[in-house]
Amino acid sequence: MTVNLAWTQDPNLLAAALSALTPFAAFALIMLFARPHARLSAGISIAAVGVSLAGAVFLLVRNWSLPAPIQITGRWLISGDIIIPFGFLLDPLSLLMLTIVATISCLVQVYSLGYMAGDPGFSRYFGFQSLFAWAMLTLTISPTMIQLYIFWELVGLASYFLIGFWYEKFSASEAGKKAFVMTRLGDIAFFLGLLVVLIHFGNLNILDMNGPQATERLSPVLLTVSALLIFGGVMGKSAQFPLLTWLPDAMEGPTPVSALLHSATMVAAGVYMFARIFPFFSHSANAMTVCLSIGTITMLLSSTMAMVTRDIKQVWAYSTISQLGFMVMGLAAGGYAAGVFHLTTHAGFKALLFLCSGVFIHHYETNDMFVIGRHGGRGLLIPMVCMSLAAAALSGLPPFSGFFSKEAIMGVLAGQHNPIWLAAGLLGAFLTAYYSFRLIFIILRPNPTERVHAETPGGHGNGHHAAGLYWVMAWPLIILAAVTLVLGFFQDPLEAFLARLQTVSGSHGAGHHAWLPIAAVSLALAGTGLAWLEFGRKGAAQMGFVERIPALRALFANRWYLDHVYRRFLDYVIYGTFSNLFTRNDRRVIDGAIDGMCRATIGSGRLLSFVQSGMLQYNLMVMFAALALVALGFYLLG
Amino acid sequence: MNSLTTYLFIAAALFVIGVFGLLQRRSLIGMLIAIELMLNGASVNFMAFNRFLAPDPIIGQVYTLFIMGFAAAETIIALSIIIAVFRRIHSINIEQARNLRG
Repeated sequence: MTVNLAWTQDPNLLAAALSALTPFAAFALIMLFARPHARLSAGISIAAVGVSLAGAVFLLVRNWSLPAPIQITGRWLISGDIIIPFGFLLDPLSLLMLTIVATISCLVQVYSLGYMAGDPGFSRYFGFQSLFAWAMLTLTISPTMIQLYIFWELVGLASYFLIGFWYEKFSASEAGKKAFVMTRLGDIAFFLGLLVVLIHFGNLNILDMNGPQATERLSPVLLTVSALLIFGGVMGKSAQFPLLTWLPDAMEGPTPVSALLHSATMVAAGVYMFARIFPFFSHSANAMTVCLSIGTITMLLSSTMAMVTRDIKQVWAYSTISQLGFMVMGLAAGGYAAGVFHLTTHAGFKALLFLCSGVFIHHYETNDMFVIGRHGGRGLLIPMVCMSLAAAALSGLPPFSGFFSKEAIMGVLAGQHNPIWLAAGLLGAFLTAYYSFRLIFIILRPNPTERVHAETPGGHGNGHHAAGLYWVMAWPLIILAAVTLVLGFFQDPLEAFLARLQTVSGSHGAGHHAWLPIAAVSLALAGTGLAWLEFGRKGAAQMGFVERIPALRALFANRWYLDHVYRRFLDYVIYGTFSNLFTRNDRRVIDGAIDGMCRATIGSGRLLSFVQSGMLQYNLMVMFAALALVALGFYLLG
Repeated sequence: MNSLTTYLFIAAALFVIGVFGLLQRRSLIGMLIAIELMLNGASVNFMAFNRFLAPDPIIGQVYTLFIMGFAAAETIIALSIIIAVFRRIHSINIEQARNLRG
């Protein structure tokens, strides 16, 4: 990689390189040298991500009013006409995302000091955290889709390591595998899409793909095909329908990992990529409609799943899927700023939700919200308050950050011709409020008469409840809660910042519907009220309206039987048909052919060995006879 | 009588006798002698062609001298091989030396 620039002279490049590469250095250091020293590893990792955060904030502040995207690349690979550069692209979107990722990673790592204390894999954990941070930070500032794809896969790898972190647990290693394989399904489509673009467009530079050249050089059909294929990657990574079932299983990892995975890194990568080449997508109206419908289905489906689960982390997992669907809806409806803004606010409050749940899980060593409530979960004041704040933000109640970003997306949806999208969005808002406050009320107002259920296996058995650790875990919560409180009021500057360099025809801002915020808030309040009625009020049965209908409950609790469908598909189509056929092919055709060749060789060898009588004279005789015949032939014919 | 054909017949006879001996004899020494006969047949051919068809320059005679030298050298090597074989199997009968049969 050659950079034709005195790179120490350029503060932008220096900061970008520092913030992107320090976590990798930390990862290497921890894995190579610091593994036996737990505290040293944690120190290295947190220091590295701190450097990244400083670099990201420096870049964001310095380039707040940058005139044009800064792109610094060096040639990495040349093959014929195709040049693949490596480097950095700094524009409002990547700067914003860089800051989000660095902030969340830093807070999560500090929090992990408390959560993971005493775990035998402490150093390994921080090593993987650094790897994760490196992959995600570099992904955000990729100037080309190839580089983005490489780090996209690295993010997947790191999340595989972290989800299956407690690999001794069978379910954890299975969940890691599931996450890896299911996202890989989407990635295949993503890669094919990139190839289509590369072959027909000749270039994977993000700025070029977003420019007007895309429509000139790609026919509308090709544009739609490639956009849909690339969207396949988003579907896998951001757990959109139908590839959404890996995400709830990914809860097997440590809770801080879930927080990181769900807010700023793994799943956000999908939506980020969507936003990254948003102008490219917006060239194809058909692709956008498909994306919009997939986002809508995802949002509604996962909201219903969240309504019946008892596992505190699962609720937030489903809500993540639903909010990601919401972001995809916003983006696909043309609301670039709205979608990205929701991504930003969601990163904050979702990390907060998970980290708060982590405190409960760590303290009570169970994931079951009913058990937490019965054991007096509301006694943990800071997590309880923070979680309520975050749930309010998630439900879109003013004045929390989620309210502003949801309103923005609703506004965009209202701008669509078909009112069904807006109706779906409003229904989603209602369901979100309902399931969020269901959880809050269950913990806040435990029902003493509730039967003791078998406790869901969860938590990990380290019983360190020292006060110091509690505060290590509480501080990130307080910071994130503050962010959740104030971030909503930065909507206008952020949107102006994002729109600064974005010249997209399809991107229109929020519609002007005065009734819309009122409708959305009243629906969210209705959801909250329903939750209060069923779970919060005195003497409530703590039984949701869904749970009264067994069929519906079973449907939701089994994730609409999606996993069963996959299982069936695997059993019948893959194992039953293809695998079986391939096995037979292996045994009969390939093995048979090889064995047959061996037998034929041996047999012919046996046969030919009669020639080797050991009597040279016989051989000579044959030779002379042949020569004589040849001579005779020449004599007669010549 | 004094024509090329006569000498060619003599040479061919020598060569065929050599081939026959080489194939028929079971003793290594006999085979060696047969090879000498074949070489001499070739030499006679060279001399005859030199004499009747290309008298100038006398390359044929030079060739024959070479063949004689070569035959002497070859005999030495062959004899040493025969001695080595004899030391190993205590016989110079080629039917005894069939260890490499398939």
